[in-house]
Amino acid sequence: MATGEPGSPMREGTVLPKEQAGLCPTDTGGDEPSAGPEEQEELLAPQSNGPVRVADGQGDAQEEPSDKELSDSASTDNTLEDSSEFGRPLGVGVCEPGGPPTTHRDEDVTAASWRARRKHVFVLSEAGKPIYSRYGNEEALSSTMGVMMALVSFIQSGDNAIRSIYSDDQKLVFVQQGPLVLVSVSRTLQSEQQLRQELLYVYYQILSMLTQVSITRIFERKKNYDLRRLLAGSEKILDRLLNLVESDPGFLLGAVRCLPLPASLRDTLGTLLQKAITPNLVFSILVARSQLVTAVQERAVIEECRLEPTDLHLLLNLIGASSAFQAGEIWTPICLPRFNPDGYFYAYISYLDAECTVCLVLLSTDKESFYAVSDCKRRVEEAMRTQGSLQVLSGGLQSPSYGVGQVGVPDLRHFLYKPLDIPENYRQLPQFTSPELEGPYCSEEEQHRLFDLYHYLHSRIHSTSRPLRLIYHVAEKETLLAWVTSKFELYTCFSPLVTKAGAINVLTKLLRWIKKEEDRLFIRYPPKYSTTPNPGKGTKGGRPDGAENGFFAGL
Amino acid sequence: MKPDGKVVLLGDMNVGKTSLLHRYMERRFQDTISTVGGAFYLKQWGPYNISIWDTAGREQFHGLGSMYCRGAAAVILTYDVNNLQSLIELEDRFLALTDTASTDCIFAIVGNKVDLTNEYALLLETEEENRPEKPVTGCISTKVQKQVHLDDAVALYKKILKYKMLDEKDVPAAEKMCFETSAKTGYKVDYLFETIFDMVVPIILRQQAEGPLQTVEITNYKSAKRTKSGCCA
Ligand SMILES: Nc1nc2c(ncn2[C@@H]2O[C@H](COP(=O)(O)OP(=O)(O)OP(=O)(O)O)[C@@H](O)[C@H]2O)c(=O)[nH]1
Ligand SMILES: [Mg+2]
Repeated sequence: MATGEPGSPMREGTVLPKEQAGLCPTDTGGDEPSAGPEEQEELLAPQSNGPVRVADGQGDAQEEPSDKELSDSASTDNTLEDSSEFGRPLGVGVCEPGGPPTTHRDEDVTAASWRARRKHVFVLSEAGKPIYSRYGNEEALSSTMGVMMALVSFIQSGDNAIRSIYSDDQKLVFVQQGPLVLVSVSRTLQSEQQLRQELLYVYYQILSMLTQVSITRIFERKKNYDLRRLLAGSEKILDRLLNLVESDPGFLLGAVRCLPLPASLRDTLGTLLQKAITPNLVFSILVARSQLVTAVQERAVIEECRLEPTDLHLLLNLIGASSAFQAGEIWTPICLPRFNPDGYFYAYISYLDAECTVCLVLLSTDKESFYAVSDCKRRVEEAMRTQGSLQVLSGGLQSPSYGVGQVGVPDLRHFLYKPLDIPENYRQLPQFTSPELEGPYCSEEEQHRLFDLYHYLHSRIHSTSRPLRLIYHVAEKETLLAWVTSKFELYTCFSPLVTKAGAINVLTKLLRWIKKEEDRLFIRYPPKYSTTPNPGKGTKGGRPDGAENGFFAGL
Repeated sequence: MKPDGKVVLLGDMNVGKTSLLHRYMERRFQDTISTVGGAFYLKQWGPYNISIWDTAGREQFHGLGSMYCRGAAAVILTYDVNNLQSLIELEDRFLALTDTASTDCIFAIVGNKVDLTNEYALLLETEEENRPEKPVTGCISTKVQKQVHLDDAVALYKKILKYKMLDEKDVPAAEKMCFETSAKTGYKVDYLFETIFDMVVPIILRQQAEGPLQTVEITNYKSAKRTKSGCCA
């Protein structure tokens, strides 16, 4: 908040326990999704017996004994509804009979195991030519894709667009972007909207390699062009993206995860990047194990546009899907589709440590600037060695993030926290934080299950028809609470035995902990280069006094 | 620091360019992922810093080939001995990219993945001095008949000379410049790179005597697309 209330999230948090008796363990449907802070307060402090709208819209008032054990809360309409909704498909979702073959490309597309996949993704051209299939060889699937395309064009012929098909346990979602058609066939509990978003990520990743203009041009020239010719070798990038989308909450939240670091160290590194520049260098991004350390943007660029989380996700995925060797310095054209779907940047990618955990990415608009940009890297690397920060970064990565234990509340298993109180005039990369998955969520199966739950809560919170602000959800093996305010979006996962009072108590402590750690968890003062002060922003190019500012302050 | 000379690896995707370079630079063979764009390496060779560019074989990056080749002192054209098409591609797709190379650029033609062929055991016996680091244990019966023979590579080398309008007498002999390697076992990998580097040194000396040829070329080069279009359009 630009209004300067440093403890905003905290303040609300502390309000909660007093009201806990009244915090109904149901969805608190907000009629006005854009509720201001005042309404917010109101929503967060419901009257004990006041009318609270429930998610399924049954009944206007929901009376719930305030002292009821939450483990028993299946008796509320809301949780009943949820439980039944989750019961069946989850069982299907996690099963992968027979174990997947070592390489998905060789998978037998007629086998039952292929059909039982959690989620298929197909990309085809308007002419019905297969371009990509997540599992199995696209060639073997060409008749399947032909049928899909027939469906799409049949409906198109009636001047409609096919959006989705629901079957017993699967959703088919279609997205058409230019000459490409993307299809998701999913058994997960994700909403149509979320599946659509995932398909867009796939589309954008393809753009990041080819750009929109060139795809359009290719298909204008030759309707039945086989795009695999150009994408050959990129399947692994798309495969990896689809795995990430299912396991990295950053895609769901549209936010970037930062490496927890002392603010002073992050500042020092930012300053370092600011100094190591050369003409036409527009973005400098320092990453450690796929988590953002700091990003610096040329001032002229930031005035017009900002680095989108999507672009950063796609860039990092592409890097992660390339062979990592410290000795090599990569120089490759890459498009940031959200920034500009038609233009290429030249990306310089280099690892700074032998373990390839610390990675420097420099984006230039000049194809010929490799040596100049490489020299920037040399300067950054040298300075980091002298400072000892390189050792700190690569050494500090033994545990890449932090454990939920640091929060110091036993019932809390995991959470996702995305601050939203970013002042309008300070364009800033949306961020989120979450601890590492541990305890019961070590296996892939359990991780999928947890993310299914998060996806579900997210879809309820962001439902276009009935957005909710607060959801209390008792699942099979855990209890979850999702809460969105004007200042943050929070998803928490508790042990199943937590009581309602306990959960509220944990939330308070969690928000307090995040407040205390926010300097470490987030980039609060993203630096940019250029020596000219930034007029009209009141920051005079320097770092504003943090204490008096909101959660995110000026650039 | 500007490198003294440039060596470029060209060839279709999947022939093993990256694997060859890693075998040589990092002394090991490990799983690779198809290269994006190009990757730059520096190799200290005596008093010289030789730069090596490992390029992507994918068609997607084809347009960049000439950029990576600019001013090159040596080009290593790589194919897979079990894939005839990969040799054909060298002539069809990759040769023209070398137009930007230095005029005295040397060419090597490398057939990789010989470890997969049934001739491999025989090769090892006849060439004791090139024993790989690890003896191969795979049985002969799983090997395949080699698709591309050294003669085919020699024929391509001669075509290249014609294309470049070079006289056979002025350049290293075809037999010397056609290699068969295995990045997997290390067979002849060191030999390949060391032979090339030795041949590059005189070119470096010549280039240095004539002034900083490459840097001038690079800075003077005007690309048609060299506009701000890479940024906000
Ligand atoms: N058996 C065998 N396999 C090899 C050899 N060299 C490379 N490979 C394998 O061939 C595949 C492709 O190797 P890369 O080195 O990535 O090929 P590349 O030429 O760099 O391909 P691009 O980067 O796409 O142009 C990998 O799976 C390697 O493991 C070899 O000498 N023998
Ligand atoms: Mg490669």
